[in-house]
Amino acid sequence: MTARAEQVPEQASGGALLRVSSDKIGRLMDLVGELSLSVSETINAPELANLDLVGFEAAAHRLSMIVGEVQDAASELRLVPVDEVFRRLKRMVRELQRETGKQIDLEMRGEDTSIDKLVADRLYDPLLHVVRNSADHGLEPPAEREAAGKSPAGRIILSAAQVGSEVRIQVIDDGRGLNRGKILAKARERGLFGPSEEPEDAAVWKAIFEPGFSTAEAVTTLSGRGVGMDVLNTTMKDLRGRIGVQSEEGRGTTVSLHIPVSLAFLDSVILRLGTQLYCVPIDDIAEIVKPGMGDHLALSAEGGREMLRQRDRFIPVCRLEKFFAGMRSELPPLSEMVFIVFESTSGPIAVPVDEILDRQQVVMKPLEGTLTRVRASWGFALLASGEVAMVLDCERLANGGVR
Amino acid sequence: MTKTAFADAQTPQTEVQAEPSDSIETMYLTFPVGSELYGVSIGVVTEIVGLQRIMSVPDVPHYIKGVINLRGKVIPLMDVRLRFGMPDKAYDDRTVVIVLQVNDAPVGLIVDGVNEVLDIPAHQIDRTHSFSGAEGRSLVLGLGRLEERVAILLNVNLLVEDDALIPPMMAEA
Repeated sequence: MTARAEQVPEQASGGALLRVSSDKIGRLMDLVGELSLSVSETINAPELANLDLVGFEAAAHRLSMIVGEVQDAASELRLVPVDEVFRRLKRMVRELQRETGKQIDLEMRGEDTSIDKLVADRLYDPLLHVVRNSADHGLEPPAEREAAGKSPAGRIILSAAQVGSEVRIQVIDDGRGLNRGKILAKARERGLFGPSEEPEDAAVWKAIFEPGFSTAEAVTTLSGRGVGMDVLNTTMKDLRGRIGVQSEEGRGTTVSLHIPVSLAFLDSVILRLGTQLYCVPIDDIAEIVKPGMGDHLALSAEGGREMLRQRDRFIPVCRLEKFFAGMRSELPPLSEMVFIVFESTSGPIAVPVDEILDRQQVVMKPLEGTLTRVRASWGFALLASGEVAMVLDCERLANGGVR
Repeated sequence: MTKTAFADAQTPQTEVQAEPSDSIETMYLTFPVGSELYGVSIGVVTEIVGLQRIMSVPDVPHYIKGVINLRGKVIPLMDVRLRFGMPDKAYDDRTVVIVLQVNDAPVGLIVDGVNEVLDIPAHQIDRTHSFSGAEGRSLVLGLGRLEERVAILLNVNLLVEDDALIPPMMAEA
């Protein structure tokens, strides 16, 4: 998919923009999906097999091309530049300057990066928290900055860029940075780490996203960065995104949000297990392995737990038949299966499947009604063939289905 | 999509015609399950479609047979026989899916076939029986008295709820 919406200069088109309800666009996208399905059904109708239809073939080819383009055009309708969100934040920063009496230079980068409108709409609030924290608690007052040899005006960079099928949005400040000692102490107090545990920086920064971590006391003494961070965490989970924090004391903090460009389309690999089809976002896959003899073993001492040997390590095998309820009961031997290896935050797992079918852009539909009971799934993917495949959430597969 | 727009070339047996004076609240789509006749309010029915290939889904109750792609919508299908605790029956060319929209989520009921839409005014519906499950909740809303038969009217909200209700004792038709 061409995720970068074309930048038609507003002046050139006379600034003629239309306001269209997202319901209408949703309906159009659904219809385009149906259209493409019907076209492929028509062209591949069994009655046509073995017929010599030169003219038809050419026309059918043209039709398919056009439908493909219509599909691209329709999916671009939902993409908007992040600029809209950034501009709202800019206004907020001006207000913050007045409130805090600090000078803030706001720099925006990559404002024309495209993002799904549904994502953009939900991004403002969490970003607001991040920016507010940077301005409020990250940036020092002018006098303190000068004493530290910095320019009196603090600097916040809002940056957006497309990285693969993700958009990376960063809020970078050059303030005092996170205070590791104080956050760690607070996290220990709350039992997030053991008293003698010395976690890595990344793990410490993660603590600030814990619900309720930001107490008033923490805000004033820990250079803030607690308020609303768990809101950010929740939103990011809903958007299938990730959060990264980097910080260096005295140098500043960078909060990075990685979000899929489009919630509707997913570049994915289609897998078959028995008669069921599954779908995995391609970015989640670390490796696909066809094991040789002796590359897997079962540990009877641990309830028959299976492991896959990969080079110099052993990866726990997560059979979907065991993870999910109501699957086929006979388990084929691992030697006949293909493994998808995921690197999850709780470690690697290997998921065996019968067959890898295809790689395609799929339309994803969220879980509704009774289907919300399905653990470890993002939703259902509509395949080009018209079939339905369940989209696996490997993070939840790896941690036992907990969200 | 209008709620009364019954589809489809696939299902010739679903010619639904309402008399103009009837209000939608008293109209029920009736369908046989075994020897019994059931009815759902047509207010929640969006369409009736033929059975198509079902993708089975894990982690759902056994009566959810899987999902289908209905023109770009993913719809879970409930086998009504299994939901009622009845023995299942092989699907045939009369088997159809009644698509409902309940609490904003679509669900399809796999039924043996559909009959007509009937107008059953409130005074013809017997609600005095105690159709109580464990918590006084029953899948049966009431019994609609027809000339020769009884239509068992279903409470669709409970029907699509997952908390395993005790299958209601089958009312005698």
